[in-house]
Amino acid sequence: MTSRIINHPVLDKVDDTDIVTFTYNNAEIHGLRNESLAAALLANNIRTLRVHEESGTPRGIYCNIGHCFECRVTVNGLQGVRACLTPVQEGMTVSSGEKFLTPVKDWRSNNE
Amino acid sequence: MDLSDNEMIICRCEEVTYGELKNTAETYNCSARELKLRTRAGMGYCGGRTCRSMVDSIAHSSTERDVTQVTLKYQPPIRPVSFGSLGEITK
Amino acid sequence: MNRVIVIGAGPAGLSAAITIAESGYEVLILDEYMLAGGRLLGQLYEEENGKWWNGIKESKNLHDKAIALGIEIRLGTPVSNIEKTDGSWVIYTDEETYYTHHLLLATGAAEVPLPIPGWTLPGVMSVGAAQVMTNVHRVKPGNRGVIIGVNVLSSAIAMELKLADIDVACITLPKKNQVNKESGNPMDVMNSLLHVSHMAPSAFVKFGSKLMKNEFMKKMGITFFPKSGVKMWDIPIMLRKAVINIYGENTVEGVTIATINASGEVIEGTEENISADFVCIAGGLYPLAELAAVAGCPFYYIEELGGYVPLHNERMETVLDGLYVAGNITGVEGAKVAISQGVTAGLAIANNLSGGKQEVEIKEAIKRIEHTRDNAFIQFHPAVKEGKQKLQQYWEEYGQQAKVEVTI
Ligand SMILES: Cc1cc2nc3c(=O)[nH]c(=O)nc-3n(C[C@H](O)[C@H](O)[C@H](O)COP(=O)(O)OP(=O)(O)OC[C@H]3O[C@@H](n4cnc5c(N)ncnc54)[C@H](O)[C@@H]3O)c2cc1C
Ligand code: FES
Repeated sequence: MTSRIINHPVLDKVDDTDIVTFTYNNAEIHGLRNESLAAALLANNIRTLRVHEESGTPRGIYCNIGHCFECRVTVNGLQGVRACLTPVQEGMTVSSGEKFLTPVKDWRSNNE
Repeated sequence: MDLSDNEMIICRCEEVTYGELKNTAETYNCSARELKLRTRAGMGYCGGRTCRSMVDSIAHSSTERDVTQVTLKYQPPIRPVSFGSLGEITK
Repeated sequence: MNRVIVIGAGPAGLSAAITIAESGYEVLILDEYMLAGGRLLGQLYEEENGKWWNGIKESKNLHDKAIALGIEIRLGTPVSNIEKTDGSWVIYTDEETYYTHHLLLATGAAEVPLPIPGWTLPGVMSVGAAQVMTNVHRVKPGNRGVIIGVNVLSSAIAMELKLADIDVACITLPKKNQVNKESGNPMDVMNSLLHVSHMAPSAFVKFGSKLMKNEFMKKMGITFFPKSGVKMWDIPIMLRKAVINIYGENTVEGVTIATINASGEVIEGTEENISADFVCIAGGLYPLAELAAVAGCPFYYIEELGGYVPLHNERMETVLDGLYVAGNITGVEGAKVAISQGVTAGLAIANNLSGGKQEVEIKEAIKRIEHTRDNAFIQFHPAVKEGKQKLQQYWEEYGQQAKVEVTI
């Protein structure tokens, strides 16, 4: 976990001893308890969290605070979970969002 | 303007491009709302939170901005509704 | 039902809740984020007195105070809709529906993007995203970044990245287009920077000193602005360059920049590549007022406040009965102003609940907002005071209209 900022000139030192294990696309990943999934994945050098459902272009976090919905992943079978505001927990099963087999328009289309 | 600018994405959710929005705005001389309905920009998963200011700017290069009304209406739900939540930190 | 509900656990929402609880009323706070503190969490800068404004600590203080007062805070709880039914406010979340007579919206602000070809690549993020990754989660957004957009927020965050030992290759402009407009125009950027020179570093202060007061000198300043930029905290700020493309196979590998003239047009043949593993986009902030919009609040576009804001008075009351607003939802400003607005909204709510016992305190709190604004270290728009006056005027006009309607 080389990309973590453990020591900081102004902020407190990070306690990096409370480690949890979860899986991302079946690979075992270690994160720190209660950090966001997006942070845990980035600390493991994982930037691509999903692909665009129709074009298949890769996407990662954009806003990091829940506004843009670019970081959607599937967590324990639940789809559309924002990785930037979900704390990692021991034993979580996470997978990236995939391209649709048949293009469908999004959930809002009937809404307008 | 070169090709890459026209192909540049404005609405990330629906992958609507700058070229598409500009052409639509010029062809129909339309309001932000009409621009949205014609192109689907801002109608994706995020509810237009990311692109609304950009769609607004493109529309307002051809039409006047109404200062007393939100040009791109907000539609509930403003967050997609899912069932079950994983949010809270349990200490 | 007598419990007050606050949406947003940022500085405004927390301060409001604390004020309400201190007056003896029950409060519930809902927030979709995983920690309390909102955008205050990521803030970190040295104030004029040499002390550090540490957002994590400030947030923790507010949070601990709220908990000590018995305030319930439900995190991880996105609110998807609100509406008024049978005289009370109904608040919809995934799991539960809440009811209250007094609802405060303190949902803060969101970032405005600057579109650049390639900006959907993983590794491209808003500048606020990099701030939160670095200061809150303490994970480096990357090893070497380019920041697109020169403004108060991006220069503050560039410094924060530097503090965390992250290399920032440069801060530069986006290529001008119909969306980026002022952000892509060196003259406009220079103008807006001059207003914030008090928080800028020495090189910039010198640059933007009295010399720059007249138009001619500004034009000269831009024309002679070194192509390699002026350094701030060792980071080149390049007002005569613009990013025309972000490239990379499946993730960011770098950006292509080009030299631009004083009005932002790209000079052909000057393109060069800068390698980077992350890119930050800094287009500024706008009030996140979607819940006020679905509730039916009237809105006004006020550029000085960052965009559309819901109509409200000095007591933070909207025109809708029992609906209040505080913090950046009312206009983009720093966290200290948000706190003082939160206190005012909290007093207004307590006052309405108690049948008018807090009138004196409210007047003082309103004055304190002004005072805080006048002494703010960070100001996102130089004319924010004028913006607030415009809104006040709209409020009065609206009140008169309403009266006319009633008499008719
Ligand atoms: C990315 C970013 C970076 C910033 N950086 C700085 C900085 O460095 N310095 C500075 O002075 N100011 C900064 N600001 C300005 C900042 O908005 C204010 O300083 C201050 O935090 C505003 O306080 P607030 O309480 O109004 O809103 P916020 O602090 O933004 O808090 C709002 C809260 O509401 C929650 N929320 C919003 N919508 C919903 C919903 N539908 N359901 C549930 N919860 C919701 C959010 O999760 C958030 O926690 C930044 C703003 C942003 C957006
Ligand atoms: S990164 Fe924007 S919602 Fe998660």
